[in-house]
Amino acid sequence: MSERHEMPTFSAGVEHHVAQFLFERAQPLLLQFDENWQLVNLHGDPARFGFDPDNADAAAHQLRDLFLGMPLDATIDLPFVHMPNGRSAHVHLLGGSEPGFQVLLLDAQGEHDRQQAQQQVGNEAALISGQKSKAIAQLRQIRSELERQRMRLAEANALKNALIATLSHDFRTPLTSIFGYLHLLDTQAPQSASVRHALRALRRNSNYLFTLAENLLEYARADTRSSMLEPVRVDLEYLVEDLEGMFQPLAADQGLEFTIGVELLDAKTPVLDELRLRQILVNLIANAVRYTKKGGVGVALRWQDGALSIEVRDSGIGIAEELHEQVFVAFNRVRQAAGSGAGLGLSIVKRLVTQMHGSIELQSRLGEGSCFHIVLPSLASVVAAPQGGTEETPALESSRIRSVLVVDDDPDICYLLDTWLSDLGFRVRIVGDAGAAVESALADPPDVLLVDVELPGLSGNTAVFRLRAKGYRGHIVTLSATPTEEARRVALNAGADQYLTKPINIEVLARAMQAATPRP
Amino acid sequence: MTAPARKICMLGDFGVGKTSLVARYMRNTFSDTYLTTVGVKVDSKEVDLGELGMLKLVVWDIAGRSVLDALNMSYLRGASGLLLVADGTREASLRTAIDLLLQSRSVLEDAEAVLIVNKLDLVERWEVGPSTLAGLRQTMPVIETSALSGDGVEQAFLELAKRLAR
Repeated sequence: MSERHEMPTFSAGVEHHVAQFLFERAQPLLLQFDENWQLVNLHGDPARFGFDPDNADAAAHQLRDLFLGMPLDATIDLPFVHMPNGRSAHVHLLGGSEPGFQVLLLDAQGEHDRQQAQQQVGNEAALISGQKSKAIAQLRQIRSELERQRMRLAEANALKNALIATLSHDFRTPLTSIFGYLHLLDTQAPQSASVRHALRALRRNSNYLFTLAENLLEYARADTRSSMLEPVRVDLEYLVEDLEGMFQPLAADQGLEFTIGVELLDAKTPVLDELRLRQILVNLIANAVRYTKKGGVGVALRWQDGALSIEVRDSGIGIAEELHEQVFVAFNRVRQAAGSGAGLGLSIVKRLVTQMHGSIELQSRLGEGSCFHIVLPSLASVVAAPQGGTEETPALESSRIRSVLVVDDDPDICYLLDTWLSDLGFRVRIVGDAGAAVESALADPPDVLLVDVELPGLSGNTAVFRLRAKGYRGHIVTLSATPTEEARRVALNAGADQYLTKPINIEVLARAMQAATPRP
Repeated sequence: MTAPARKICMLGDFGVGKTSLVARYMRNTFSDTYLTTVGVKVDSKEVDLGELGMLKLVVWDIAGRSVLDALNMSYLRGASGLLLVADGTREASLRTAIDLLLQSRSVLEDAEAVLIVNKLDLVERWEVGPSTLAGLRQTMPVIETSALSGDGVEQAFLELAKRLAR
């Protein structure tokens, strides 16, 4: 404001026009005061700026506040000052008009409004942008927190699966003992009808317990690893009798009719994974019985043209057609909504059927019962050499007595294997850990080494590896409670010739020993 | 007898609540509609400071800026006190308030200053931490306020008034 610019010269007419134009826009008010802020003179309309024309003192008072602390002999410009009536004015102090000073007010309302509108938009945009940045930062933080939680959950899930797998795995060793001793009892002294009945009940329920443990294991290894198939010759009539014994009393308790039967229309003995077949049937029949309140459950097996056809039909609550796909998903809400159960069984059934190269179909309508139809091809065509299982335990013939070194830390299992192997004609030595196994096998090499993988200290696989490294050339059979392809691969890579999974029975053991000690 | 008058200026970034604080202090009113200030609004109020007597506060509510240009400097002339205003929910506005204080020192060497951290009603969204304020209290009075509820507003103006009356 203090700079002076050279003013161009215009004609009197133009200058008059400009002066009139600016005058009309600015509506100037000039107030002249003496040195004591007494109004001496006034030009313009004081009401335009909110001053009372009849009360000059009030105007003086208000303007005095505005110049508080400032020198009154200077020229001071105060743009956009809020006036008493709300209008905006440029206020100029014009000092040096002896003996007092002048105050010039120019209306700035129009300019004020334009600037205010412009700044308002800018300021609001900046405030919103700040809030947006803050919200984005918060979202990032939330996302990173969610990611951390997801990782924690994934870790917890892996731990849970490992726990389930461990529990299920730990079931196998005691079940091996139970099955083994049941077999011993079956084959020993003649028994009364009531003892035979009791043994049958024990076997049935042990099987059921084993199926439950297998369900858990199947669930735990859902994601990646496919489990190993164990094809054996299956006695379907015996299986059907077992299932009847298991479910007939349960169905009778609920007032349901329960029928189960098998038709054998192919002369060849079925070769299937018996454990998985049993799991499929137990799961399907248990579900049918659970969800049927009246009527009955019918199970029909037919062995024909190298395939086993299974039909499980019930007169239960049924499943709406639009939910047919969902029932095969783990923890689905269809089954949960229907009452009990976590909805795990059918997902496992589907997985097992797929593993066994079979197919499954569901026919059901809400309120009209359900029928599951499964076809399982014989595994004889899928897997070249079944691991074991014959109607009768094969007798081992040999010109000399073969020796077996059993390496297991479970005394019950050791005793059982000792009994079975002695029955099969072997000379048996037993040690409880890997170190002793290596020492004993090198000192007096056995024909067959039967070693448990899960040993205290060094694992059975380590013992096998060391023995092979030191030149042991006998046959090695590894025994483990872990039924996975990976575990099998590890054992065979270590130097084992065969890999058996618990629980084993004498038929499986006999077949393995036969393979280990071929006739000369 | 006329009370002595002192000019005080409200300084702070836009949107921190300077106009709302003045409205709450002068007229005990509040509007939650944000309207940017262009130029300056001048209000005055006499306060009774007890033993220190009466004092007339002439309050200049100056348009919010992050830096003081020549225009703002002209508004500061003759001021005895500064009310620096920051918004507790915007940490950057606290830095601006401190910057404005430092810039104002070129024309107001001896002005008393009180720091107001406004929007106490939104304290759960504050970015300004208590430890920051504790550090600032070592150098100047710091008062947390809410123009919305009125908390701390009277106290802040009185604190500055007392310092000006001494």
